[in-house]
Amino acid sequence: MAKGKVKRVLLDDIGGKNPVFAQILGICSTLAVTNSLRNTFVMTMGVLFTTALSNLTVSFLRKHIPSRIRMMVETLIIATFVIIVDIVLKAYVPDIWRQLGPYVGLIITNCIIMGRAEAFALSNSPGISLVDGLASGLGYTYVLLIIAFFRELLGSGTIWGVSVFGDWWTNWSIMIMPPGAFFMLALFIWIVRGAILKPEEEKK
Amino acid sequence: MKSGGFFKERIFPILFMLIITVVCIAIVSSIHLSTKELVELNETLFLKRAVIFAANIPAGETTAEIVQAFENRVEEVKDGEGATRYFRVVEEGSGDVRGYVVFQNGAGLWGEIEAVVGYQEDLKTLTGVDFIKQNETPGLGARITEAWFREQFRGKTGPFTMVPEGTVSSTSEFDAITGATRTSTAVLKMMNASVANVASIVGE
Repeated sequence: MAKGKVKRVLLDDIGGKNPVFAQILGICSTLAVTNSLRNTFVMTMGVLFTTALSNLTVSFLRKHIPSRIRMMVETLIIATFVIIVDIVLKAYVPDIWRQLGPYVGLIITNCIIMGRAEAFALSNSPGISLVDGLASGLGYTYVLLIIAFFRELLGSGTIWGVSVFGDWWTNWSIMIMPPGAFFMLALFIWIVRGAILKPEEEKK
Repeated sequence: MKSGGFFKERIFPILFMLIITVVCIAIVSSIHLSTKELVELNETLFLKRAVIFAANIPAGETTAEIVQAFENRVEEVKDGEGATRYFRVVEEGSGDVRGYVVFQNGAGLWGEIEAVVGYQEDLKTLTGVDFIKQNETPGLGARITEAWFREQFRGKTGPFTMVPEGTVSSTSEFDAITGATRTSTAVLKMMNASVANVASIVGE
């Protein structure tokens, strides 16, 4: 595993080819769970765990999986890891598990995970696939945490459940409802693409 | 089927799928079984904590304190089939009845709401309410699970009327949640149904 390749994969997944703001994948959960930081953190850790390990597993099996059933196999592997996340959350952090509700199970349908398995793990060795899974998960994690930070701050006046604004603050209820997620995500993509991605493209 | 032969094209994918399914099921089942007790413990603890809150029994936050307080102060009353009908709150030591905690269901905005409602021994004055199941909008309807909302019923008598958030002036009023009128109305209906039914539930 060449060092240059690891670095390129990391930079791509976290920056220029970020799954959320560049590839616009995993939007369902980006919109659904980002109204409080704590829930978002647990959710992103679940996704990080699943992308990393499903990429690793798919990559190990890539030479044996018959190509016509590869999607079934990938889904099965992903589902297995997601159910593990669900059971572990249910057993060790039941309060957060109750709040996340169906969204943990819906990690199975998160396009980032399937996308990385198809696009990367099937054609690369296990080591670099694990790095790619981790990097994609991290790219997803920090974008969601940034969105959740602003939604929770403006919508509830709190950060990680701790009140920061005090009584004078009027909560922007719309920020914690689904429309708020669309506004935040659109703003975020606009700023990142306009300010960072576009100038780089023009340089080239 | 000229390229790989019958076995490679037809039989091998099926065998591969079967084997990987069995492996995945084995992994998930073993994790499920190893955390089963913990999950059940979490669920009973969750209910015990709710009952203690509804009955306004002073108890700490730790698992041991909650279990201890529940054992000392609460008796489960079961129906013929062994399901819990209601809870009797007793004085520690003497066993004198101090109140009751009953279940109450209702239709929320997105799904069923289930609550435990606590009464003093007169079956009129509330000692508190706690919600054990709800799927209301996070940040809006789901605020019924916040302490201030559940605590406001203490010492009040029904039937209730609902007033805008922060304008309570009598013991038969409760604060609705701004931006969650449908959920607040659902809670209003549940509370009034509970007040109307508690005597017949406990009386039988």
